[in-house]
Amino acid sequence: MKFRSLILKNIFRNKSRSILAVIGIAIGVAAVVGLGLITDDLTQSTESALTAGAADFSVINSTNSQGGSGGGPGFGNDQLISQSAVAQISQVKGVSTAVGELRTSSNLGNSTNSSTNSSSSTGFGADFRSMTDIIGIDSSDLSMDDIAVTNGTAFSNANQVIIGQTAAQRLNKTVGSTITISNKTFTVTGIYETGNFMDDRGIVMSLSALQNLTGDTGQVSLILVKASNGTDPTALASTIQQNYPNDLSTSTSLSGNNRMQNGLQVISSGAWAVSLLAILIGGIIVIVTMMKAVSERTREIGVLRAIGWTQRRILGMIIGEALVLSLIAIVVGLLLAVGIVEIISLTHLLRGINPSFSLLLILKGIGVALFLGIIGGIYPAYRASRLSPTEALRYE
Amino acid sequence: MNNENIIEIKDLKKTYENGVIKALDGINLEVKKGESISIIGPSGSGKSTLLNMIGALDQADEGHITVAGKDLMEKEDLSKFRLNEIGFVFQLHNLIPNLTVLENVQTPLIETDIPDKKMEERALEILKSVNLSDKINQKPTKLSGGERQRVAIARALVNHPSIILADEPTGALDSKTSDIILELLLDIHKKENVTLIMVTHEHNVAARAHRSIYVLDGKIKEENINSTS
Repeated sequence: MKFRSLILKNIFRNKSRSILAVIGIAIGVAAVVGLGLITDDLTQSTESALTAGAADFSVINSTNSQGGSGGGPGFGNDQLISQSAVAQISQVKGVSTAVGELRTSSNLGNSTNSSTNSSSSTGFGADFRSMTDIIGIDSSDLSMDDIAVTNGTAFSNANQVIIGQTAAQRLNKTVGSTITISNKTFTVTGIYETGNFMDDRGIVMSLSALQNLTGDTGQVSLILVKASNGTDPTALASTIQQNYPNDLSTSTSLSGNNRMQNGLQVISSGAWAVSLLAILIGGIIVIVTMMKAVSERTREIGVLRAIGWTQRRILGMIIGEALVLSLIAIVVGLLLAVGIVEIISLTHLLRGINPSFSLLLILKGIGVALFLGIIGGIYPAYRASRLSPTEALRYE
Repeated sequence: MNNENIIEIKDLKKTYENGVIKALDGINLEVKKGESISIIGPSGSGKSTLLNMIGALDQADEGHITVAGKDLMEKEDLSKFRLNEIGFVFQLHNLIPNLTVLENVQTPLIETDIPDKKMEERALEILKSVNLSDKINQKPTKLSGGERQRVAIARALVNHPSIILADEPTGALDSKTSDIILELLLDIHKKENVTLIMVTHEHNVAARAHRSIYVLDGKIKEENINSTS
């Protein structure tokens, strides 16, 4: 009889206990893989949305990039750029398109057709808790900011706006609704999506309409730049920055990128926190079940020591059993993760997310299972191997 | 050490609970190779402790004990010594319930480097000698008490030990089965010239050994050469 045969036989000796241990490890694997399936795709799709837009990078006032008093670049109290810079940058070699965009924010709350902005004389940049981003950009340039109208049409005059899907839900607006911003009423002509849920909480109007509204005539918050074919966007961004060393700064990410990355980090951290909790629970289950297994077999371990088994052999047997349970749990955990994610997908709770397996994710799952198996098995195995044969033989 | 002696014990002492309980209090004993000894005495007299010392399951506090040429007072792992020199038979057989008879007998051999096929051949041979060839694929739970004890004896013999230590081998059996098991042990002892040391409560069992040792309060109080052996 081979040693490994004995280990396998021991695994199936107490089926309910083994099933419990497998479930414990599988919970950890399923949590890591299942949440990984969701968060990986969320990160990828968001990053794709952030980088796949028409604009390769943005140009902002260099004061903002040095850590001004405002929020993200181009928001709140951020320093603006003269609109004439848009034309200048358009002339830089390698630039395909340069578009000016004005960004601000307003507290619109949830009240219908009424501006709730307060402290500022313009009504912008007041209460951060329920701020709505207001973007001014010409309708022909919407694609430069990854804005796609999914319902209705783009605005065609200064009295019209389009509203992001998230903002529309929050403010209860639809195509045809009116919305009041800083005492001026606009008609909603379309709902837009950017593929970035943070940017979908804004309202977009023509650049001149927002400039008039904020009193920032002839100024923009940022310039969206697209490099011509064959031009390296990073090199182009450096060139532009060198041309305006004291005035402008380039950012290869769009203004919402930092916030989006922060959001993704929060999601990722949350997923890891849940996974770690599941791993902890799984680990405790494995340790408890293996300890119970060792306890039930105390006398047997004493006999094995009496007939000549070394401490190392006993240690190997218990860890071996834990590892076999881990291998079974890898399969169960992976199936569980895929099954649960597929079922959730059917309910449309994961709209826009297309979970897909990666080798790294599978390796993470295997790593978790082996970690739990070894950690869960090592203490009971150590205890078993250190048992005095005479005490173990006396055990009832 | 006398070449004829397989066990030499001099002034062996063992206490438990910080010296409160004197399990062995100066044991002196010599056992010749191929001899059979019975250790008899009331519960708590120290007879099982003495057996555990000889089987290297426990270590003494003081004195000297040499078994099969090995100084058991040395602080080292004695697993290999037990594997090669000692065969244990317990009162409650202590077989592994989820393994078959054949697999139970092979368990000591897992610790050796004997090939699987050879391992199985040796186990089958031993099981034949204890008349269990027809039960090799049975689980212990399907066997009678006597059959289980025969499996335990087969497991004790599979490594060809020089000493068999039997702790109350017939204690859990009825008188008829007890006789059969005792005869089997004595038969193996004679045929294999293996030293047999039995701990027992029963005087009729003790009398079947060459020599009986009466242990009381951790000391050997009396030694008898048995004429019936």
